[in-house]
Amino acid sequence: MRVGLLGAVIFREWRTRVIKKSFVIGTLLMPFLMVGFVAGVVLFTDRTEQEQRVLVEDAPGLITRLDAASGQYVPRCPGCFPERANHGYRFVREAPADSVWQAQGYTLLVEYDEAVLQNKAGYLVYETSPGMVAKRHIERDLSRAMEHARVLASTDLDWAAYQRLKLDLILVDREVSEAGRVEGGGEEIRGGIGFLFSAILFLVLAVYGGLIMRSVVEEKSNHVIEVLIAAVRPEELLLGKVMGTGAVALTQLVAWSVLSTVAFSAFQLFFDSGALTPGGAMAVGEEVPVDLLTVMAENEFTAILLDIQWGLMALSTIGFFVGGYLLYGSLYAAVGASVASEQEGQSMVVPIILPLMFAYVVGSGALQNPEMAAFTALSWFPLTSPVMMLVRVAVGVSLWEVIGSWLLLLLTARATLWLAGRIYRHGVLHDGSLTGWKLIAQWVRGHGR
Amino acid sequence: MTHALDIRKLEKAYGPQRVLKGVNLDVKPGSIMGLLGPNGAGKSTLIRSVMGIVEPDAGSIRIGGHPWSREAVRGVGYLPEERGLYKDMKVGEQAVYFARLKGMDKADAVRALKGWFERLEVAGWWDRKVSDISKGMAQKIQFICTVVHEPALLILDEPLSGFDPINARRIIDAVRDLAESGTSILLSTHDMPSVERLCDEVVLLHGGEVVLSGKADVLREEGWAGEQEVVFRGNDLAFTNALGAGAHLDRIEPDVADGVRRAHLRLRDPAQTAGVLQALSSSVDVLEFVKVRPTMESLFIQAVNAAGSNTEAA
Repeated sequence: MRVGLLGAVIFREWRTRVIKKSFVIGTLLMPFLMVGFVAGVVLFTDRTEQEQRVLVEDAPGLITRLDAASGQYVPRCPGCFPERANHGYRFVREAPADSVWQAQGYTLLVEYDEAVLQNKAGYLVYETSPGMVAKRHIERDLSRAMEHARVLASTDLDWAAYQRLKLDLILVDREVSEAGRVEGGGEEIRGGIGFLFSAILFLVLAVYGGLIMRSVVEEKSNHVIEVLIAAVRPEELLLGKVMGTGAVALTQLVAWSVLSTVAFSAFQLFFDSGALTPGGAMAVGEEVPVDLLTVMAENEFTAILLDIQWGLMALSTIGFFVGGYLLYGSLYAAVGASVASEQEGQSMVVPIILPLMFAYVVGSGALQNPEMAAFTALSWFPLTSPVMMLVRVAVGVSLWEVIGSWLLLLLTARATLWLAGRIYRHGVLHDGSLTGWKLIAQWVRGHGR
Repeated sequence: MTHALDIRKLEKAYGPQRVLKGVNLDVKPGSIMGLLGPNGAGKSTLIRSVMGIVEPDAGSIRIGGHPWSREAVRGVGYLPEERGLYKDMKVGEQAVYFARLKGMDKADAVRALKGWFERLEVAGWWDRKVSDISKGMAQKIQFICTVVHEPALLILDEPLSGFDPINARRIIDAVRDLAESGTSILLSTHDMPSVERLCDEVVLLHGGEVVLSGKADVLREEGWAGEQEVVFRGNDLAFTNALGAGAHLDRIEPDVADGVRRAHLRLRDPAQTAGVLQALSSSVDVLEFVKVRPTMESLFIQAVNAAGSNTEAA
């Protein structure tokens, strides 16, 4: 293997794709879009929650009493309505007409009657939907207040005693491993994260594999290949092409990681300075500043992002990307060498990408039962391991399994490169008048030139 | 003598079809060999075998005295008949890439390329994309990429196709200069005038076999069948009578100048040239008596037809 030649081929493949407007724009834009998406979720959630003013029509007088001093209805259980940064309550026995309470500045009206304790249902009236988070907060506050009313009405217990007696059991996962009992649980969320990474890997393998195929077909159709083959061994050219295009993908992944970190840090700095919150970065009724990470932790979607072990996942993704890419990239190159046009190649690519697609589809099943033998087997099988092992890594898997599966993937990739090299060597100079699996089999056996 | 290229008994078949049938060929150092033949004669297969693109079934190839190897091939300059460039690369960048594949370092490649770009008047296109340049311009770039690493052996397959006469002349001059500086060249072409102008030796392939080979001027001399051109002043009848049975008169062009005529004739016995000239001189005023040797084109057609008849007869 001549390093200088290989380097020249890799550099050309890399340079012609990276020094391109579309690549630069795509690479710069994606992290800012992603951070912008997160920022949008945070800012949108933050703003909608702050805007809610809730009027509760406690017609049956279940949860409120008249405060003589203020002449207003107040909760019987003040602790059931904690101070929230996003919304505040006002209680009445009879709500005015919709237009009136709206004119008074309320955004939500809660209505229920005596039957609420039996049928556990009331109404939330609004002009603009408050969103899931605000609705859940209101449901939780009112449920506790009504629970308080029922306890007082139907038992001899006082609320404080009931609270002491009440028990919400929490089962904390403990997994038995070689190191003894370790923290467990959260498989679904962590598996989901792994699934997200495997989806990204699947897309990158499919997109950049397609890029290799197009590049090979282009060299055949513009006849550059004949000059190249005279100077470089077909196997070297194939390897250079796969590695060069892979380097483009890695460049993009690394650029996305760095730029996302920079953009996120900048947004975090900006957010934490309070410049985005009208009243400063202080929560209503709280003494501590509201920082971005706290806000994200309160949001269901963004909380998942905080849960990700980015270092481990990035390392595994890159490791399995390299192996998977060498494997699938060389197969795509072999297909490119065997066909006369990109359209013809697309139909031949389907059976090749099918195992990966299969792993991607059944990967969602692994979220439910990651320890199932079939998923373990798929995470070892080289054609599916790039996708499946990532899900298992996220859920938790022995290090020896990860390394073993990865080494097997690398060995298979090496063998595939050799095989693809034989197909490439014969196919790349083939005029395309006759193609098909039979001819490819001949090339693998070394005949046909 | 070590030949720049030495091919012995080269055989190649595609399925039942034998494309090369024991071809022998050698290119001497610093010479230009014309590789001729009708379409399908096996020229491209022969060249592709030398370049390692096609694997021959039998025979041997030596390059610069060494047995065939990838490393030996890498030093060869090769301009294929079907050629192209990467459309999305800049011209200069692409030329440097090809030079680097041929083992040059970047600085040397840039220096050498700039010189060739100046010579072929494409210097202004260095930073332009290939998709922006004309076909003729692209042909010149391809030629430059082929010769920039100063190969000891250069294989050119139809190097003049696509060129206008002015640029074709520039390429011919460049090829001649390369040969004069010691480069050995195998030139495959259908352009017979360029063969006559450039080639020291020719090999004519037909049906995968060498049907004619040798030094170009010797072949033309050997192919001479008594054709003469006579410029004279005098009477046509006297001229015809003087010829007698010694030659066959094809035609006489009247008044090529004031009272001067040009006759085209074929001697019945080429050995009797002096006798015919003497007979004519006694009857008319002979101004020129020139031997008309066959063109490469006519030799080509003659040889191909002869080979075709032999095949049919067999």
